[in-house]
Amino acid sequence: MVHSILSRLSGSLAAIIGASAIAFLFLRVLPGNPARLIVGPLASEETLHAQMERMGLHEPIYVQYWRYMRDFVTGDWGFSYGAGQPVLVQFQLRFPASIELGIYAFIFAFLAAVVLALLATYRHRPVMDATVRMLSIFGMGMPPFWLALILLVVFHEALGMFPGPGAQLSRALTPPPEVTRLLTIDALIAGELRTFANAFQHLVLPAIALGMLPFGYLVRLLRANLLDVRNEPFILVVRSKGIGYWAATVRHALPNAFLPTLTASGMIFAQLLGGSVLVEKVFNWPGIGSLVVDSILRKDFAVVQAFIIVSAVLYVFINGLVDLLYGIIDPRVRG
Amino acid sequence: MLRSNFDLSLSLFVLLLLAVLALLGPVFWPVDPLAISLRETLQAPSLAHPMGTDHIGRDIFARFNYGAKISLTVGIVVVVTGAVVGGAIGLVSGIVGGLLDNALMRFMDAILAFPPLILAMAVTVGLGGGLETAALGIMLTSVPYYARLIRSDVIRIRRLPFVEAAVASGAGITRIIVRHIIPHTVSTLLVQAAALFGYSVLALAALGFVGLGTQVPTPEWGVMITEGLQYALTGQWWIGVFPGFGLLAAVAATSILADKARDLLDPRGQYTQL
Repeated sequence: MVHSILSRLSGSLAAIIGASAIAFLFLRVLPGNPARLIVGPLASEETLHAQMERMGLHEPIYVQYWRYMRDFVTGDWGFSYGAGQPVLVQFQLRFPASIELGIYAFIFAFLAAVVLALLATYRHRPVMDATVRMLSIFGMGMPPFWLALILLVVFHEALGMFPGPGAQLSRALTPPPEVTRLLTIDALIAGELRTFANAFQHLVLPAIALGMLPFGYLVRLLRANLLDVRNEPFILVVRSKGIGYWAATVRHALPNAFLPTLTASGMIFAQLLGGSVLVEKVFNWPGIGSLVVDSILRKDFAVVQAFIIVSAVLYVFINGLVDLLYGIIDPRVRG
Repeated sequence: MLRSNFDLSLSLFVLLLLAVLALLGPVFWPVDPLAISLRETLQAPSLAHPMGTDHIGRDIFARFNYGAKISLTVGIVVVVTGAVVGGAIGLVSGIVGGLLDNALMRFMDAILAFPPLILAMAVTVGLGGGLETAALGIMLTSVPYYARLIRSDVIRIRRLPFVEAAVASGAGITRIIVRHIIPHTVSTLLVQAAALFGYSVLALAALGFVGLGTQVPTPEWGVMITEGLQYALTGQWWIGVFPGFGLLAAVAATSILADKARDLLDPRGQYTQL
């Protein structure tokens, strides 16, 4: 047990170090001198060298990498010259909006996938099954930014059911006091139901646009596994003991069909928390995804580098959590 | 069975239709996709303009056809080069094994740990932008998927009896690799390539959407969706909606094809078909 935990930990660490090292190397190899970006094109060679000296750019690359990682761990994530702010401050400002959107998108994708997979496999109903298959293929084939546009045209422009892009909260409302910095949760903590409803309305369309692709993937996986498990002898035994269809499915088949879905969900959740570059752009969502794209376009690579490390850490951390969950759902894994 | 054949013929038909639009579009719809006509701006779809016109009066149908050509061409080029590079890495890794295998696979894992779109964007910006560099960036991010798959396939195949028989009858290593191992990985490679075609097309559109990759006057589907975005909320939905349908059709059709091909190659996995 201890051995397996240790080997998993070292594997995770290797993944994080590998990704950060490649990001670091790659962004350094790119044409363009970061010091030149700061001092400007007209500065003399002398100024440039002084700046390079100050940034430690004359040192060997592994020393630079070591310094960067050491600073990163102690909370110094570098300085974004494009935005004139420390990178960490930018992340603190932008991450909550992305996390909130990611959580709601995940809830949408997961719940929709479970419900539709159950419906698709219920008895033999080819029409329902074919509809779910279509939804799944469309969900995985649609560019999320295009779906976002369609949702805006239909539900905001034509029907007026949901607010348009550009805000997390209507201007008339004051944001709730900051506790978790997730608007809907803070509103609930403060007991302001109207603020909660408003923030939730702003989340619906972007969450659906962002959650559609993971939904398509999860429903496909879960449907296949449900069909698979349902043919196992133990389900026949359960049914022959007089337990109803739904009780047998929900209590016995679903938990067994869940394991592959759970693994996939972990990876999906990690990705969603990292923000979506494209959907955030369409909805003008003040999240981390739009920050990273703007930084890439500005060649402000300090932000990109930090983002890559944070994504790798999230990815590893959430997959670790999923492994723990496995033990709760499937007693065989505890051993 | 009937239904699965229907799926198959429908997706083949859709792909064929897109290919015809891409190749023969300029023949039967000879409108310049770049021709500006300020007298016909923002027109709704009509007989004269089946998909309407955009904010400077360009015909969206002509642009759609041109976009089909770009997306399909880039999709094919990215998939072929990615499969060759990834396949080669997988082959070397699986055959040589040991330290080299370990190093190559750790490298592939590290690439997989990146958010894929961000990596493709960073590569594109780093190499100077434009359609070719975008294609290169997307290709690089797809390489690990091929490499890992082919590696495990090679490791499986080289233990099979017929390889042993070839060794026993005195075949050299080159002959075994070229005549016995590579032909058996082709099917896996093809299925994976079909599955990654959709990813490549969508990624190109995504890069175009954020302003990397294809540059503005070129009618690429992602770029067209960006242009349509500003007009979507003032009622001119057709500018951005049609190119998205093109993407959806291309990606959905190839993913159905990939599924079918996988079922054919792996009869035991029948139930996973969707």
